[in-house]
Amino acid sequence: MGINENISKQVRKSGTNSWKATLKGSYVFILLIIVVVILSLVKMDSGGIFGRGHFLNWDGSIVNLLRSAVPILTLSGGFTLLMISGNIDLSVGSALSLSAVIYSLMILNGFGLFFSFIITMILGIVLGFVNGLLVMKLRITPVIATLVTLNLYKGIARLIVPPGISAIKSSTIKTMPAWINNYARKDLIAGLPVAFFVAIVIIAILVIIQRKTILGKYSVAIGGNRLAAELSGINAVKIGWILYIMVGLLAALAGIARASYMSIGDPLTGDGMELDCIIAVLLGGTAFSGGEGSVIKTIAGALIIMCITTGLMTVIPPYWQMFTKGTVLVLAVTLNSLLVREKVLE
Amino acid sequence: MSEYVLEIKNLIMDFPGVRAVNDVSFNIKRNTVHCLVGENGAGKSTLIKILTGAYIKTSGTILLNGKEYIAHNTREAKQKGISTLFQELNIVNQLTVEENLTLGIEDTFMGFLKKTDKIKKMIGILKSLEPSINPKQLVSSLSVAKKQIVEIAKAVATEADIIIMDEPTAALSENEIQRLFKIIKSLREKNVTVIYISHRLDEIFELGDYVTVMRDGKHIATKPVSEVKDRCELIKMMIGKTLFESYIPKETQSSQTLLEVKNLTTDKLNNISFEIKKGEIVGFYGLVGAGKTEIARAVFGADSYRGEIIFKGKKLYNSPDKTIEAGIALVPEERRSQGLFTVLTIRENISVMNMQKISRAGFINHIKEKNVSAEYINKLRIVTNTMEKQVSKLSGGNQQKVVFSKCLFADSDLLILDEPTRGIDVGAKSEIYNIIRQLSKEGKSIMMLSSELPEIVNICDRIFILFDGDMKAEIKNSSDIDCEEIIHIATGGEVVC
Amino acid sequence: MLRNIDKVSGIDKISTRSRMNDATFITLSMLGVLIVLLGLACLFVPNFYLGQNIINLVTNYWFVIVLGIGVTFLLITGNFDMSVSGIVAMSGVLSVYFCQAAHVSQSELANGLGLPYWAAIVLALTASLIIGAINAFFITKLKVASIIVTLGTMSIARGIAHIVTHGAQRNTSLPDVFKVIGNITVIGSIKLSVIIMIIFVIIAVIIEKRTVFGRRTYLIGANIEAARLSGVKVGQHLTILYLISSLLAGITGILLASEYVSGTSNRAMGSEFDALVIVLLGGTSIAGGFGSVSGTVIGALILAVVTSSATGLLLRPEWQFILKGIVTFLAIMAQRFALDRRNI
Repeated sequence: MGINENISKQVRKSGTNSWKATLKGSYVFILLIIVVVILSLVKMDSGGIFGRGHFLNWDGSIVNLLRSAVPILTLSGGFTLLMISGNIDLSVGSALSLSAVIYSLMILNGFGLFFSFIITMILGIVLGFVNGLLVMKLRITPVIATLVTLNLYKGIARLIVPPGISAIKSSTIKTMPAWINNYARKDLIAGLPVAFFVAIVIIAILVIIQRKTILGKYSVAIGGNRLAAELSGINAVKIGWILYIMVGLLAALAGIARASYMSIGDPLTGDGMELDCIIAVLLGGTAFSGGEGSVIKTIAGALIIMCITTGLMTVIPPYWQMFTKGTVLVLAVTLNSLLVREKVLE
Repeated sequence: MSEYVLEIKNLIMDFPGVRAVNDVSFNIKRNTVHCLVGENGAGKSTLIKILTGAYIKTSGTILLNGKEYIAHNTREAKQKGISTLFQELNIVNQLTVEENLTLGIEDTFMGFLKKTDKIKKMIGILKSLEPSINPKQLVSSLSVAKKQIVEIAKAVATEADIIIMDEPTAALSENEIQRLFKIIKSLREKNVTVIYISHRLDEIFELGDYVTVMRDGKHIATKPVSEVKDRCELIKMMIGKTLFESYIPKETQSSQTLLEVKNLTTDKLNNISFEIKKGEIVGFYGLVGAGKTEIARAVFGADSYRGEIIFKGKKLYNSPDKTIEAGIALVPEERRSQGLFTVLTIRENISVMNMQKISRAGFINHIKEKNVSAEYINKLRIVTNTMEKQVSKLSGGNQQKVVFSKCLFADSDLLILDEPTRGIDVGAKSEIYNIIRQLSKEGKSIMMLSSELPEIVNICDRIFILFDGDMKAEIKNSSDIDCEEIIHIATGGEVVC
Repeated sequence: MLRNIDKVSGIDKISTRSRMNDATFITLSMLGVLIVLLGLACLFVPNFYLGQNIINLVTNYWFVIVLGIGVTFLLITGNFDMSVSGIVAMSGVLSVYFCQAAHVSQSELANGLGLPYWAAIVLALTASLIIGAINAFFITKLKVASIIVTLGTMSIARGIAHIVTHGAQRNTSLPDVFKVIGNITVIGSIKLSVIIMIIFVIIAVIIEKRTVFGRRTYLIGANIEAARLSGVKVGQHLTILYLISSLLAGITGILLASEYVSGTSNRAMGSEFDALVIVLLGGTSIAGGFGSVSGTVIGALILAVVTSSATGLLLRPEWQFILKGIVTFLAIMAQRFALDRRNI
């Protein structure tokens, strides 16, 4: 019978050699080490491996990398949980841009840090709420629903920026206060800004959520076997909605960090962030169909992609970036399809 | 509390054109293992579906613990105390055993999962059933048998009154079956009643306290197993005195071999070998889990296998499009998910397997296609006022006729039918049997796999009996064939009745 | 069993006329929506009703429709192709690069490979087909989700365009013949590109409605397992669809490069979403087995009306993004609502 065949397929797949399984599971960390090593070996002329101009140089290179990585570090953990539940959000880039625009607009117009933060975060929640509404409540396919909101948020962000101006930034009439950099650019400890540590805290919170809370467990349940989850009384709509709101909120935080770092609110700033997140989760071994994934591994994947983009930026011209990213995505997809065990589909 | 956990009184279930459950009344005693047996179409699964909430009864009363019981879906049934062990295990592979046990009923403190006595209690129940399962391991690493046990533990822990198990041993090894039986018997002490459905009659005797036999939608008998003399008595009750249309022996016997299967082995099948000659109707009789669908799909090229299959002198390839080209067509077991394009029309469904015939140079000749649809709608008496009707809107029987039409249109030399008359009313069945006979007269061969004995006996020239992936016997059909013997072998028996 | 299927008795007893099926219903409904929107636009948007404006609606959207053809077929089978816009840019840039005169100038962007124009076209199309083949490989063999792969190949394709143009454009040292096919007009002031689009649409509609290939596309979308068990070579079919889609995108790129006499790295940005929008507006559903190219054309016209109304009402161009999102959302909900009501 067809069903029994599926059952025996499950049996066959579950009997993996545990040594191989561990290797399969942690390939992302190995990849990260390889990438770092390769980048460190480039330009091995003067100054030694930790000297100026080299990849592993703390103040010049690593700090820069980590500062630029703040948005994706903030965002990709939550993105992982969403994907574990079997959903996707392609609008994160636009949500990031819109948040950056709103935040910088408020700062430019004299609102204080605290108030601007709060308003932008509420915006993020709203953006995530809309996604959740479309996907979970109205049952529109996540890809299409979030492509719709991608364009919606992108349009709003670009609309807010006055015509003829490319971003929310200092002008002759108003100047952006310098303290905008305090969050994501100014040095707090070891050259790293507040935003970086906030991102670390967020990652830690997400790891705890994934492993120790009911939200984490239910995300796995819904992504792994939605029917069984609902049979056990889990409200899949509610859980998914909460995850979308969370991702929206994190996108807002990432947008704040981006605006703070660059001192401007650029409506194009988040373009392509969704691709970065996808690469990160793929490298981290998340199954696209849901049920499998890990916040920590995704973060490793995010670091890989940051290393590649910032590291390569020193070696290759900027117009190679897009091709490189596309290739990395395709390679990540290949790795993921070969190494991650997808759910047996009935 | 009354001694009966479930009381069924005058239960009737009607579908358009057929009364699937006909005034059934019996009671199930608390804390027993109560077996339910009957041939396909006897009404067992319909009865179970009413209990699990998949169907709403037409009339009658069901009392659970003395109170009126009705459920609209499986979740409601579970909440009210009736849990079911499905074949598609309702378990999340990516979580641990412990997490699955507590799924949906966790104790939390502000969103955080708490380790409370509840978990200890559930693990305790699990350990009492099967100590070798480590609660911390991922369910995906468990065998099917152990996954089943986890589900049972969960049902017990959520204080189900009744656990329904439908052919649970289909995917288990001998050892695992024994372990399952031990667990089931122990459930009686845990205040759980088990309704156990199986075709393997030996299991009834080993496991059951009571047995209910159904036939043709009616309740035949409910007895303590100890009062049932032997399997023959059960079989007699299952078949009754149904007079089969007698088999008409074939006049012409072709000796040309069309299909040769040698040592066919898959995960389920063990070394199956057989031959089919041109113009023969060969039946494969076996009950759930016997391996019928595996054989069908292997021959058709839908699944991979080890062994050799030779058709018209040539080795067959492992893909449906090549076997269709070679001249084989399959009527699959699950018509909705495998046999039909439910959003498309009748006309579009029928022509699928032989588009060359209604097209030229890649362009469809719509007039020919319409003619073909009309022909089959007429011949198979598909009830519809138009061929442009969406197939999803047809009744089950008519849908099956569309699948049949599709395969007949393929004009193949070998037609494989997997449970071809499941869900079809008597009139339509008879029409289909005539078509099968007609095809055989035209020199086509039929491979019919079914768990309905009457149709196997009525039509097939030779009958293979399958049990548990093995081919147990080959019988040449004649007008005085011993049906009880056949069922005996198909339910695992060896000794002559 | 069947004797002569050219003449069958009893056919008159079976009606071949249907209560109009769902797909036609949706297409006609969207046509109705289009007419209503046209009416509203003529009323409220200044100068909208001028004949030239309406013709412009079609002619400016020709390339989105061409891309939409491939996307329609793929969406019917339940797959996405987001790589089309990248292929447009890549093929346009390559068509320029290959036939730019070699060794003419100091500036790197003014030097090409000096091949004849027809060779440049062939090579650009080959590159497009390679992208399509990559898509097909990952989707049919590795069974990767189509949205992810095609987002990746979109970046690769557009990335190639970026590399070849150093992020800007190539527009010098081109042979005279280069600007012909994109700018030549046929029948008055209608461009050749528009005629090509019309031809492609007609071919697509014929394939969709009258050929075995078209029928198989619907079968795969309706039930991929049943299609496989009915003898459809699913992997091969999907591969062909992705190759067609990439080829159409490649042709579009070449025509656009010719029209603007340049290969730019940001050509047709966002048009992969535009293509998806018009396909969805036209009634094709991701659920599979449902949809049509004629619907896509109507969807394109609806989008054209909406976007040009926005321009006519002097809304800022940024409104386009918002409108596309809203219109898509409304269309999906409305179509679902209408079908649910109809099938009660």
